[in-house]
Amino acid sequence: MAVPTLQDVTKQLETISGAENIDPDVPILTIDDIDSLDLMEWLYSFQESNPEIPADESLFEEIDETVTLRSIYDRVLATVPS
Amino acid sequence: MTSFSITGWGLAVPEQRVTTTELASRFGVDEEWILSRCGIRERRAVGPGQSTATLAIEAGKRALESAGLTGADIAHLIVATATPEQLSPATSAFVHHGLGIAGSAHDVNAECTGFVYGLIQAAGLIALDPRPILLVGSDTHSLTTAPDDRDLGILVGDGSGAVVLEPTTDSWLMAWNLGADGARTESLKIPAGGSRLPTSEETARQGLHFSQIKGNEIYLHAVRHTVGSVRKTLEMAKLQPDDVDHIVPHQANLRIISSIIEHTGLPRERLVTNLERYGNCASASIPMALTEALDGGRICTGDVVLLAGFGAGMTWGTVLLRWGGGAS
Repeated sequence: MAVPTLQDVTKQLETISGAENIDPDVPILTIDDIDSLDLMEWLYSFQESNPEIPADESLFEEIDETVTLRSIYDRVLATVPS
Repeated sequence: MTSFSITGWGLAVPEQRVTTTELASRFGVDEEWILSRCGIRERRAVGPGQSTATLAIEAGKRALESAGLTGADIAHLIVATATPEQLSPATSAFVHHGLGIAGSAHDVNAECTGFVYGLIQAAGLIALDPRPILLVGSDTHSLTTAPDDRDLGILVGDGSGAVVLEPTTDSWLMAWNLGADGARTESLKIPAGGSRLPTSEETARQGLHFSQIKGNEIYLHAVRHTVGSVRKTLEMAKLQPDDVDHIVPHQANLRIISSIIEHTGLPRERLVTNLERYGNCASASIPMALTEALDGGRICTGDVVLLAGFGAGMTWGTVLLRWGGGAS
């Protein structure tokens, strides 16, 4: 199973949100061009492209002003079947 | 088998306007933030003496006039609403009386998918009893939204849309799909006022008679199920997205509509939307948009028209019509 890299995920979110040069270590909700609907749109596209990875909206539970794209990506990796 | 034709249509909205500028000030956010979030510039809200049924009567009257019929000609009235006139009796009873309808009356509550569900119910009913049906979608969610609820307050509008269906042997219905996921009852709900949690002083104090939404969940599942429903319906009709001439979606939120267009491959330029002017009018949104498209001369005989909706529950549904007949 091919698991998208953090770089892939960053690029996907840039395409969806229009945000440029997203730093995966910056708290995601502090990035001006990204809102929660962009994250849902990214998740839907991710689920469509990676049906074998059971990532769902729980990725974004308890998201606050400290959560980064890297930490979201770590949550995605935690869902990947071994 | 007898099918339906759509011979009349109409809409009604309250006069009172609620602008995005006003809401930006009320909620302490930028106007641009609201526009980027939902694409809505203005909504209508009922005032004193107006309600779900009064709007439905007005829209129904216009649809009957447009069809050249009166209430006495209607064999069955179906009112789709999630904001009923009162808990009992059904809103359709008030509309039945207001329009002088001769036949039966009942409500359907599939939330914002109510009009699509109602249309398929009507298709079944007219096959059994080939006489005219009045189908109305009417909602007043401004009354179920807490004054300080920014997430819903920027979205909801009040309105009503109606169509008259008459029997024909030249089918308009090409394909359809309805679905539901009852595990999603928490995504959008009004907790109090029903048998599960009857109204009490405590529920009123806690504001549990107002709508509660988990917007992210609604977005994700609305897109997933509507995209799936549209794909299944097109497949059933053996059509490609480019074969659709007019797309009339539930006018929920421009971001959700855009996502559905993107993921289904439906042609964006064929989208029918009035969201910017009326907001999310729930069960009324599809017949209101359809009425405006018809009044504007946008839909012609032979055109393929796709109606697609989703709502709390969750529910979803798609109907594909060949306007003027020739579907089968």
